[in-house]
Amino acid sequence: MIKQWLVATALAASVVGGATASDSPYLTGREQLMMLADNNPAELTEWRGEDLFHEPRGPKNVSLEQCDFGLGPGVLEGAYVQMPRYFEDTGRVMDLESRLIHCMKTLQGFTEEDDPIARKHSSDTREADLTALYTYIAAQSNGMAWDPPMDHPMERLTRDAGEVLFYRRAGNMDFGCVSCHSEPRKRIRLSFLPVVSHQEEWSKAVSWPAYRIGHGVVRSSQHRVRGCYYQMRQAGVKFGSDASIAILSYWTDQARGGEATLPDLKR
Amino acid sequence: MTNKTRHVTYMGLALSAGLLAGCVQVGEQSDDEPDLTEMSAEEYAEYLIFESNSFKLDQEVQEGGTARERMQQDELQRLCSDTRNRPHGEVANRIVAMARESFEYPEGGIQLGDWEKGAELARSGYGYRIGHNYDNPERTVGGNCYACHQMDPEELAYGNIGPSLSNYGELRGNTEAVRRFVYEMIYNPHAYFPCTAMPRMGHNGFLEQESISHIMAYLLDPESPVNARKVDPDVEMDPASAPAGDTGF
Ligand code: HEC
Ligand code: HEC
Repeated sequence: MIKQWLVATALAASVVGGATASDSPYLTGREQLMMLADNNPAELTEWRGEDLFHEPRGPKNVSLEQCDFGLGPGVLEGAYVQMPRYFEDTGRVMDLESRLIHCMKTLQGFTEEDDPIARKHSSDTREADLTALYTYIAAQSNGMAWDPPMDHPMERLTRDAGEVLFYRRAGNMDFGCVSCHSEPRKRIRLSFLPVVSHQEEWSKAVSWPAYRIGHGVVRSSQHRVRGCYYQMRQAGVKFGSDASIAILSYWTDQARGGEATLPDLKR
Repeated sequence: MTNKTRHVTYMGLALSAGLLAGCVQVGEQSDDEPDLTEMSAEEYAEYLIFESNSFKLDQEVQEGGTARERMQQDELQRLCSDTRNRPHGEVANRIVAMARESFEYPEGGIQLGDWEKGAELARSGYGYRIGHNYDNPERTVGGNCYACHQMDPEELAYGNIGPSLSNYGELRGNTEAVRRFVYEMIYNPHAYFPCTAMPRMGHNGFLEQESISHIMAYLLDPESPVNARKVDPDVEMDPASAPAGDTGF
């Protein structure tokens, strides 16, 4: 049912894209998704994340309110659109999800094995706490411009290496990210593909978390990176790994100045 | 520092980081770690792939060996990455020459197989995916053509990264020259389009010879719906009747 509806939407989008002045079927299709949905189910996730964020949890029984996402302890507004960033205390460039895990460990005392950290992605039956927290914090940057900092040399190196990874072709299908995200108006089957050099398309494309209609749950940017490496038949990329953060650093930099929609709704 | 000593240092770093942290996070810098900021973007990218514990490199893969080998680039992949898929002059010539040398033809010549089997194979995107969810090596590998090409004009769920192949056999004919061209395109398309996005499905061992012959029949056999259907472009199709399917992507 949903699949048929998606097919219809995609086709409608391609027709509209051809007949009007809009030169981005990716964006037209997306707008129609937004119009068809009365509200974004990711809001529920966001609310649950808000509760989890303020609730004292973990062996140390404290909340995450003192977590520093780069703008100072507890400052959430605008923090996400300025990530990934370099953190002195860990000596690493971190994305929002790795930073959250860092705080859940250091402030709350959770370990890698505890469910709130171990469960990285949601299933049909169980939403990951991490996704809920991530959605709540990301939502505090809704409507702002993507603006990842490039002051520290590791931030610049990470972004530059992310660019190399984006263009790097390997594996049985000779794919790099560039194979599918470099030319306008292209589709894989019925999915219109966002173009990395098109600021408006790309700033929407990197707007994660998003409720994915096809999955019926909220997904994160780490989930998207994993999915794209999977489809390329390359090695599985690990959650929060430095390579995944390099990709995120490059993709956020490419969206610089464009508007973030948080949380988003995707097909 | 030469490339070689640098490489050895990375290995040491990866090892010690792995022992200390036992997980992805490298954690606090220690004094004997190399200064990452001295690396070029290319060096750091290679370091990220092979030395930073970012990928599941030890996973076994169906072609034999591990995912590590999949991440290693062959010359074609490296040249196309370095030139961002726009090779000029010498490089383009080199790529075309390498592709021509790579051709291997089936014993008994290029034959058309069964287009009905080809129809399935052209749609299927199954095969060779690894990582969190492993494609079963026992199942037949698909050619994924619909991800990028229109073929049967009645199939609405087609991609457009490549040109439309609808009525291909009817338009091009089913001559030996055309069969050879199509075979070589599937085997290694860089002979004609250096640094194309289309995968080397023969050269990379992605498709078996038999599968290639079925897909070729689907493309060239006059009976195949790719060629036999006459769709009046004015007749509107019902979008809801199009299968969304598993795209393989
Ligand atoms: C074989 C084609 C292919 C390759 C290669 C590929 N992608 Fe994608 N990508 C897709 C498809 C298909 C979608 C989903 C679009 C949709 O569902 O509308 C997508 C979605 C995305 C999105 C989110 C946009 C959205 O609306 O869902 C981003 C960002 C992205 N890819 C980045 C990457 C990166 C980074 C890489 C390399 C690590 C990569 N892609 C490699 C096909 C590809
Ligand atoms: C990732 C996308 C992709 C996939 C998958 C793909 N192709 Fe292609 N194909 C292309 C592109 C792009 C071209 C055009 C060459 C160029 O300009 O780079 C092409 C060109 C061709 C051509 C030559 C068309 C002409 O001009 O005569 C044939 C034949 C072809 N593909 C067959 C296939 C078949 C059969 C399959 C499935 C086994 C397939 N392709 C899978 C992208 C793809």
